[in-house]
Formats: sequence, C-alpha cells, structure tokens
Amino acid sequence: MATSMRGLTQFIADIRGARVRELEEKRINKEMANIRKRFKDGNLDGYQKKKYVAKVIFTYILGYKVDIGHMEAVNLISSMKYSEKQIGYLAVTLLMHENSDFLRLVVNSIRKDLNENNEIYNCLALHAIANVGGQEMAEALAEDVHRLLISPTSENFVRKKAALTLLRLYRKHPEVIPAAEWASRIVSLMDDIDLGVVICVTSLVMALAQDHLEAYAVCYQKAVDRLNRLVIEHEYTATYAYYKVPSPWLQVKLLRLLQYYPPTEDPTLRNILFEVLQAIMNNCAEPTRNVQHNNAQHAVLFEAIGLAIHLDPNSPLVSTATVLLARFISSRETNVRYLGLDTMAYLAARADHLEAVKRHQGTIILSLRDKDISVRRRALDLLYSMCDVDNSDVIVGELLRYLKVADYGLREEMVLKIAILTEKYAGTYKWYVDTILELISAAGDHVGDEVWYRVVQIVTNTEDLQAYAARVVFEYLKSPSSHESLVKVGGYILGEYGHLIANDSGYSPIEQFQVLHSKSQFCMAPTRALLLSTYIKWVNVFPEIKEQLVNVFERYRHVLDVDLQQRACEFYALATRPAEDEVLQNVCEEIPPFPARESALQTRLSRKLTDAGDRRTWVHGGSVTLDRQATRRTTKPALGDIHGNGSAATSGIDGSNGANDITQSLMGLDLSSSPTALQAKTSFSELQSAPAQFLAEKGIPRLTTNHNVERWFEKLTYSSEGVLYEDVQIQVGIKSRFHGHIGQVAVYIGNKISAPLTSFTALLHTEEPDALSVSFAKIAPSIIAPRMQTQQLVNVECKKVFTKAPILSLSFLAGAHQSIAVRLPIVVTKFLEHVKLGQAEFFERWKLIGGPPRESQAIFPITLADSGFINTERQRQVVSGSCLNILDGIDPNPSNIVAAGILHMAEDGNVGCLMRLEPNKDAKLCRITVRSTSENVAAELQRLIQKPLSTDAVS
Amino acid sequence: MISAFFIFNQKGEVLISRLYRTDLKRSIADVFRIQVVSNSDVRSPIVTLGSTSFFHVKINNLYIVAVTKCNANAALVFEYCYRFISIAKSYFGKVDEEAVKNNFVLIYELIDEINDFGYPQNSEIDTLKTYITTESIMSTATAVEESSKITTQATGATSWRRADVKYKKNEAFVDVVETVNLSMSAKGTILRADVDGHILMRAYLSGSPVCKFGLNDKLVIDKSERGMGDAVELDDCRFHQCVRLDEFDSDRTISFIPPDGEFELMKYRSTSNVKLPLRVIPTVNEIGTTQVSYVVTVKTNFSNKLSATNVVLRIPTPLNTTTVDCKVPSGKAKYVPAENVVVWKIPRIQGGSEVTFSGHAQLTSTTTRQVWARPPIDVDFQVLMFTASGLIVRFLKVFEKSGYNSIKWVRYLTKASGSYQIRF
Repeated sequence: MATSMRGLTQFIADIRGARVRELEEKRINKEMANIRKRFKDGNLDGYQKKKYVAKVIFTYILGYKVDIGHMEAVNLISSMKYSEKQIGYLAVTLLMHENSDFLRLVVNSIRKDLNENNEIYNCLALHAIANVGGQEMAEALAEDVHRLLISPTSENFVRKKAALTLLRLYRKHPEVIPAAEWASRIVSLMDDIDLGVVICVTSLVMALAQDHLEAYAVCYQKAVDRLNRLVIEHEYTATYAYYKVPSPWLQVKLLRLLQYYPPTEDPTLRNILFEVLQAIMNNCAEPTRNVQHNNAQHAVLFEAIGLAIHLDPNSPLVSTATVLLARFISSRETNVRYLGLDTMAYLAARADHLEAVKRHQGTIILSLRDKDISVRRRALDLLYSMCDVDNSDVIVGELLRYLKVADYGLREEMVLKIAILTEKYAGTYKWYVDTILELISAAGDHVGDEVWYRVVQIVTNTEDLQAYAARVVFEYLKSPSSHESLVKVGGYILGEYGHLIANDSGYSPIEQFQVLHSKSQFCMAPTRALLLSTYIKWVNVFPEIKEQLVNVFERYRHVLDVDLQQRACEFYALATRPAEDEVLQNVCEEIPPFPARESALQTRLSRKLTDAGDRRTWVHGGSVTLDRQATRRTTKPALGDIHGNGSAATSGIDGSNGANDITQSLMGLDLSSSPTALQAKTSFSELQSAPAQFLAEKGIPRLTTNHNVERWFEKLTYSSEGVLYEDVQIQVGIKSRFHGHIGQVAVYIGNKISAPLTSFTALLHTEEPDALSVSFAKIAPSIIAPRMQTQQLVNVECKKVFTKAPILSLSFLAGAHQSIAVRLPIVVTKFLEHVKLGQAEFFERWKLIGGPPRESQAIFPITLADSGFINTERQRQVVSGSCLNILDGIDPNPSNIVAAGILHMAEDGNVGCLMRLEPNKDAKLCRITVRSTSENVAAELQRLIQKPLSTDAVS
Repeated sequence: MISAFFIFNQKGEVLISRLYRTDLKRSIADVFRIQVVSNSDVRSPIVTLGSTSFFHVKINNLYIVAVTKCNANAALVFEYCYRFISIAKSYFGKVDEEAVKNNFVLIYELIDEINDFGYPQNSEIDTLKTYITTESIMSTATAVEESSKITTQATGATSWRRADVKYKKNEAFVDVVETVNLSMSAKGTILRADVDGHILMRAYLSGSPVCKFGLNDKLVIDKSERGMGDAVELDDCRFHQCVRLDEFDSDRTISFIPPDGEFELMKYRSTSNVKLPLRVIPTVNEIGTTQVSYVVTVKTNFSNKLSATNVVLRIPTPLNTTTVDCKVPSGKAKYVPAENVVVWKIPRIQGGSEVTFSGHAQLTSTTTRQVWARPPIDVDFQVLMFTASGLIVRFLKVFEKSGYNSIKWVRYLTKASGSYQIRF
C-alpha cells in the first residue's frame, strides 16, 4: 500500500532529508497548503483521500498542529476498501481525542463495522474503540462489543480483541458496563477451547471481579478447574507452552484472580487447588539454566506462593514456599531477590508464626545493603512486616544504623516505620525514648512533625517516663549540633518536666536554659516561638533564672516576626507581674494527658499506598500484625504499660485497625456475612421480585420459577428421589441418602438435545452457610455430550437448624447462554431419624416439652379423598416421607397421626421431635401440632409437613 | 578574560577549538553542546553555568563561542566575536561550515594573532593582512625587511597605517548606510522606530593625511543638549580607533588619520525624528470563517526625485489558507504557502506616489476554531540618497604635508530588511 503512494513516500523522504528545522517547516507548510486546497476543492477519489490523510497523519505525528482532514478521515472509515478504511481508522485514533465532536460521526460507522461479517473490519473497529474510547463512545458501543465477545460466530481473534476492548472501556468508564448483568455470560467464556481467548477473558474477568466479587463468584470454580487442567492434566496445545511452562501468563492471571476472593470453603476446590499449588512448587524445585524458562516458572511460582499464603498461611504448602523463598532472597539475580523479599513480606504480614521468616533475618538485614535500591526498599518493607516484640530490638537497631547511610528517597519512609515499630513493640520506656531520640537526632530533616508530636504525646501520657525523657533529651541537646526537631522535643519536654530533674547535678535550671537557648539562634521562627513558651513555663517553676528569661522576652519584643513579637510581649507582661499574682501559675498549669487519638503515623504511612493498576491483594503490615500484637500484649504486660494511662495504647491499635479495614475490604472478607444478613430478611417471594441487577450484584442466582418447579420440589421434600427440573433441553434428577447429620445427594443432569451443552457450570449456593454446608464432590465437567447424562454428587452436612433450602444453579451454552437456578430438596426433615416410642413414653415427653414456645401449632384446610374420607394414606406417606416414625396405637382416634423423630445436627446436637396431626373430616380442616426441645425446629417442622398437606387442600 | 574560543556547527560538532588559558578543559565544549545547541529553550546569547560563561553569536548556522571563567566585559567579548566574523569574511568571503573547514589552519593562525592569553590584540584587518597571508611564502630577504616594517607599524603611533602609501589619484569615498527598524501598531501609532547608521569610508590617499569630517551643524549627541528644534539627535555613536577622541570630546570635530583602504569610520544610533521612507496602510477583514480580504496601500514619503527599489512586502495569511487571488498595479504578488505569506515584489516606486494591493484569501474549514494571530506585515526596501535620521555629511577635508588635492565622494543609502513591520 505504502509503495503505491508515491507522493507520500516522497513527502516523507523530503522531510527526512531536511537539514534544519526551518526547511522541514517550510516543506510541511507547503504540503499542508496543497492538502487544504485539495480538500477544499473536493471531488477526491478514495486513493487521493487516503494519500492526503496519510500525509496529515505523518505531519501530526511529527508534532505539528493539524486541524484539517478529520472529515476526510471519517469518510475513509466508511469506505469499502481495506487500505482506505485502515488509514481512516488510524487517523481517527491518532487525530481525535476522546471528547472530540467528530467522534459522534464515527460511532455509526464503527457500529456498522462491528456488525459486519468481515472479521478484519471488526478488528479495526474494536481497535479504534479501545484506543479512543470516550464516554459517549463507550455508552454507544459497549453493547455491541459485548455481543461480539459472546457471539458464537465470532472468530477467536475477534473475541480476544473484544475482551480486551471491553477491559479498556471498563477501566476507563466502569459505570458504562453492566458488569454484574453480564457476569455469567462473560465467565462462561473462561471455558473456551482456545487458550488465547481464555487469557483475554481472564484479564477482563480479573478487572470486573475486583469490583463485583459476588457477581463473578462463578469464576472461582472456573479458574480452579482451568488451573487443574493446565498444571495437573497438561491439557493444552503445544503452541501455548512457553519454555515448557504451560501458558504462564494465563496461570499467573488465574492465580491472581483467585487471590481476590476469600479462601474457598469448598473442600473439593480446596483440595484441587492445593494439589495444583503443590505441583507448581514441585516444578520449580530445581532451577534450570535457561533464563527464559526460569522467568516463566518464577512468574507462576510467585503468584502461586501468594495464593498459598492467601488460602492458609499455616498450611504445609507455605512452609515449602518459605524454603523456596529463602533460596530466592539470596539469589544472584536482582529480580528474584526483589520478588522473594516482596512475597516474604506478604507472608510476614499474614502468617501467625514468624519463626520461618525470622530464621532468615540475617539475610534480610544484609539485603538492606543490596546494590539495588528497589531491593533495599523491599527489605525495609519486609523488616517492617516481620517485626514483633522478640526481634524489635535487633530490627530497629539495624534500621537505625542503616538510616545514616540510606538513600535520601528512602529515609522519610524509614523514619516513619522506625517510629511506628518503636512505639508498637517497645519493651521498656527507656528503650522507646532512647530509640526515638536517636532517630530524631540521626534522621534530621526526614523526621516529619508527626514523629515528634507523638513522642510528646506519649511522654505526657506516661508519668514514669517524664523524668527520664527530660534527662535523655537534655543529654542529646548538649551535643554541639542538634536538629531542629530535637530542639522542639527538648523545648517541650524540658519546659514541662525540666523541674523534675532540676535538683540533680548537671541539670540545674541555668544549665538547662543555657543549653536550650544556645540552639535558638539556629532555629526557624516556629521553633523559637516554642522555646519562648518553654521559657514562660520556666519562669513559673525556676524563679532563680527569671532574670535571664525576662531578658530574653525583652529582646524578642522587638523582633519583626509578628508571632514571636506577640508571644514575647504577652510573656513579658506575664513574667513581670508581681510575685503574689497567681495568673502565671494558673497559665502554666501542667499539661493534662492527651485524649486517646489515632496515631498519625499510621495514617501517614497508609496514605502512601496508592495503586494505579490491578489492586494489590494485600498491604504491608496488614491484618495479622494486629492479632499478633494483641496476643503478645497479654504475654508481656510491660508492653501495655508503655502506653501509660491506656489511652495511647488504644490509639496504637486504632491505627492498625484503620489499615485493617482496607485489607478487609480488599479481600472481601465479608463475602459470606453480608448476603446472609440480607437474605434473612428477604423472603422467598421478595427475592423473586427483587430487581435482577440487585440479585446479580449480590451473587444470588435468580430462581427459575413455574408451577412445576414448585411441585417437583415439594414432592422431593418427602421422597428421596425424583425429578427436580425438566425442560426441552435439560433434565435434572435427584437421588438422596441421609444418615444422621450427613447426607449425599446425587444430581443427574441429562442433556436432552442433540448438541453438546458447553461451558457447563454447576454451582451450589447456601444462604445459611453456618447452618448447612453443601459441596460438590468434584467439579462438574464443562461439556455434557448430546443425549448423555452426568452425575454429580453433593455432600451435605447439617450443622444447625436452617430454613432455606440450598440453591443449585446450572448454566450452559446451548446456542444461547442459559441458566437455571432451583432449590435442592434438602430440608431439615431430611436429617430426622426414626425413634420408637411407646404410648406412655410419648405422652411423658409430650408433656415434658409443654406448650409454646416449644410447641408449634397450626390449623389448615385439607381436601378429602374421592371417597369423601380423609386421605389418611397420603398423610401417612407425607409424614413418613419426612422421616418421622409414625407411632400407631398411641392416639385413640385412628385418623389422627402421631409421629416422632430425632433431628441430627453436627453442631447443635440431636433434637427430639414429636408430632400430632388431627384431621377433621366434617370441617375439612386439620390441626398440626409439633413439639420439640428446640423452638426453631418445632416451627420449621410444622411448616414443612403442613405445606404438602395443605397444598392438597388448595389443589 | 576569554578562556577559550570555539566554533560549532549546527549539530554541535566542534569545528575550531582554542584554549587560551588553562582554567578550562577541552571537554567544556560538550557542556555548551548539551546546554545550548541541543537545548532549544535557550535563546540568550549569554549562558552562565556555574562559574563559566558562554557568549555565542550565530551566523549561517555556526556558533561562534567565547568562554570565560571570570567577570569579563560582555560587550568586549561580543565585539571580539563580531570582529572575528568580519576578519574571517575579509579573508575568505563567506563564513559557513564549509569555509571554516577549508580554512581551519588560517583560522587558528588568526585567532592566535588577535588574542593573547585571552586578551584581544590588534584586529585591524589591513594590518593583519600584511603578516598573515594566504599566499605563498616570500623570499627570506624581503621577509626580514617586510617584517621589520610590520613591527614599526604595529608598535607605532598609527598602528593602522603604513607610512609609505602612494596613490596617483587621491580619492576618498564616504558611504552613509542606514537601516531603519520600525514597528507600527494596528492603529497606526509608532511603537518603535530607530535607525542604525554606519559611515563607511574608503580612503585611497597618499602619505599620512589628517582628515577632518563634518556632519550636520546641529548634531546633538549628549542628552543634556536635547530639545533644540530640528537637530539630528544621535543616541550614541562609536568611532574607528583612528579618530582622535580627545578632539571630539572638546570641540566635536572628527579628525583622524585614516587607515589605507576600506574601514568603518563611525557607527551611530538614532531614535528620534526618524523619517519613515515608506508608509503602509493595511486594511484586512476576515469575512466569516472562509475568507479574508486584503487592501494594502504603500505610500512613499520622500521627494519624487528619489525612488525606493527592491521593495518586498510579506503579507501574512491565516494558517488554513487554500488560495489567494491578488491584484496589483505594479510588481508581482504571489502566495507562498511554505511561509504562509503573500510576497509582493515591487522593483521600483517613485517618491510621492502610492500603490495598492488588493486580494482575497480563501480559507478551509478547521476542526478547532482558532483565532488568527495576525502577524505583522514585513517590508524590505532600499532608498538611495536618503537618510532616515536626517544626517548629512557637510564636509570632508584632507590635510597632507605635500598638500595634494583630493577628490571626495559621498553616498547615502537607507534600507530595511526584516525589521520594518506594520501590524494590522
């Protein structure tokens, strides 16, 4: 194409050949005038337009201002020739910014190209959307891009591009993409056969899932399954193996994606995951000579270690990982050292026991002197994370020593961290004061105000510390040069507590004054002001040096600085009042302890943590540091003391709590709790009416409803096998077996059509996870062959009484994306076991339990059998189907049914249940009474048994 | 004083490098290249980095650079650079990269001669030419004699003139050349008008004549004497070294023993009572967003015996101009897209007359509507026998011991090139 445009080649050659800038400008001016003339004249054919627009583009990318040719570019886009279209799109993406008015003209052409059957046009259009992607464009075209992504007719590379385009749009305008609504459809693409598509879709899912954890929860299972297939089953084409590592990019993405979710509760998934992680770690046990191979392996490995730590910081996997990490932090390669330290810092932040990390303390401290600054930075982070009471002396000492030679860029952060560690893990006051003062004198300019405020706060709040602090600070001030921050601390502490040490030799008032005042001439105005305040305090407590002090005030009364002058004048007036006056004493009352306040240091530190790209899955010095701190606190009482009246102690915790909140929200720890809380309030019918958007956002599948579904469900509540759901495409059958609190439900899923169901996903969802646990024995296959049936075993365990049956949601691709969500017939009654009781026994217990609240009673209408009698047969069937043992001969009335059973629960133990059903033929009513040792059980049992019986009445 | 002298080409490559003192290293050239040549932000001719100052003059894409580490007189350093340029011009014509490369040996010879340990020395071209020659070497006998002459001359009272000059015909030519700078606002008020004048002299006179030179009677140089009617006021003036300044200071007479051949007798500057030879009256209207109409009238403002020649007007057009149709009564007008101007060339305009250009520029539509900056119209011209400052040579007297008669010629020329600008 370029060869055919001779004018363009010549133009570029001319510009390249221009010796000086002026010549180049002249050539361009000339060309632009020519193009203006041509465009103005009109009547250009496609080739000419293409050529001139290409020249305009070239001029533009040289950095010249171009404001013509936009209209021609827009025209070119709608051309039918590829080369013209291409230049048109190039011009649009280069010349137009996202808010350009011209983009409105382009939107329709782009949409047309998206709808075109020609996949190259699709790609050009997608490319343009991704590159320009303004708000308006995103709103107009996101739908079409999504359609291209999910369309079964799209080529793989179109789908790849579509996924990435959508990702770009989402990152730029998250509000435009209905992420939650599209969740299931997008996630289903993670099952695609083409790994390239999977990589792209995973990137998209990663971005979406971060903001919509619940809605994208399905991807967890998909990711685990895919990892399993890649790592364990080696199911990938040779083209996706990079130096023998199966698609490291995909692996890394999947492992990272899993870290955004809280560790899974599902034992099956967990086992598979551990197996995968184990395999990854085993693969990396031996480093190879090939650098590329190592890189690929390490990339996967570090993510895997991250995930392992995330899943369970105390698992044996993590100890394996620690061994690996230890090798990495002493590696010869800088990158590996960096990553090793970084991951170790994560481990230190999460793990309860730091012994494994502490073993390498020496190596880590050595890393502080690494030749690479970023490695030094990571080492600092790690030391900060791994610090606790036992090693704080060593670490803080080491950091202080290193501070003096550290890079300037690192010092401020170091100072903050040292200050926090010192405060958090101080064993004795002495150590705390010594360390902080040494810090201030060593770091000088890098000490923020927060640090010395904090010192003052703690000294003020801790009475025992005051005299010692005054003495130490005085010693520091005696050195010929001291930093201003030190002078400030000195000024404050000596002013408040100087009198405590005034009687000791060498600390007399006049000496204190001389030492402090000798520094004042080197200080800035605010520090001098502080010193003036110190002097007025001294006037109160040291009458013997009043003369010198008043002298100072006298001199300062004439300085130019307004603040200083005012202070001096006021203090002078105050100091020269008659001796019997009490104003001075009242003014200089000792400072009361500070109210508990959040440590400003932590806030300052956490403010530094901002990330642009994908969110980090953890922060330094995160959650577990707090727990660790708390446990240590109980074992070492000295620690609590340092915080004096207890006020500062809480502030320390508050500080780390603040960081915690962030961590928690990041990791979505409240995943399980919030929907339950919501669900408890929303009844079944409310769920139905709730907007789909809301449900999707919460990750609750929308239940499929029709009359049949309810009927099937109800039938299964009192029988152990049958059809749960059926439509033209799929049939779901159930076979269940319960023993005590454990049950096993086999779900048979049959494909009724003559095409395979692809991207098949089965998910279980309980609304009361702490009362009932359900999980698949293994992950469902992603394809169901035509006219075939697959069986999935569900393990059930009842822990407490529950009222909501778990939801089974199935989704699959059969032409279009389908999803079904039905409740599994797992109800409390399934966990009942027969119990044999005699008449006397029964009534004894019946009376023992007594009336409400442990009794639940209801009267409901029933229909009679065709014969006009009570349908006793059916009633008996329902009752015995509910696993209650019908006891004959207890009730004198033969149509009454009396039954008993024991409910087995793993956590709440066994609960006995007694039931009595009294139908009345004439009134067509029936009374049900359930008595149980637990009131919840009684109510729930009554509801469950009554329901099928009364339905009869209705139908 | 000057510690080093360099010549760089456009790309910052060193063509000539001379260190006069040891306080600099040769690598200082890199500093200049990085800080000045490669840095398009630097416009100032003086750049001080640390304790080192770079003085540069640009000519034909060459940088003539003097470097100093002490507090040198900046005017002196620049004068030195310009003097070097004029010497180079007289030795090998054009000063450009190629000429410098071809004559680098000569250049080193020259810069060693005109500067010693950083202090500028005799830079009189005629004198230099007597001992720095581009021709083949003379025989030793004459060379000794010649060199002793040179020594006497260079160390004598009139270092700029040999004693034994002889001409059959004694002639002296005086050229007064004035360059007019003007910037006029759109409303017709004069924002700035000044005249740079040079008086050039070519003297072909025998012996050692003493010349006396008289300008307008009412020449005013000192500011305190200002405000005396129609006097020609000069803001400042500078003389060739041959002029006896003490006499000028005491009684305002310009007397001198001229060097042999061509030299610049005097330079001056005048900012008041500037007579503008050409008046330009532009009327430019933007009609909508697609057209601009021009009517530009040029009036001559001097006696009709004289005429302006080589008049060139550059009339700016908007940046999105496609075509311009021009109508002119005389000369040729053409749209030059490369520079975004209409160039109107008029070979000659008689004094007291006027010519008018009218035209329409067609514009193309642009995406972002931007206001046209309307750069000024630029006029170049030459007017013979006219001085914008009003300066006139009254007399030139030559006194010589032999008392020969001499012929004197005086010419005046006023011109403008590139800085006669009218806004509209």
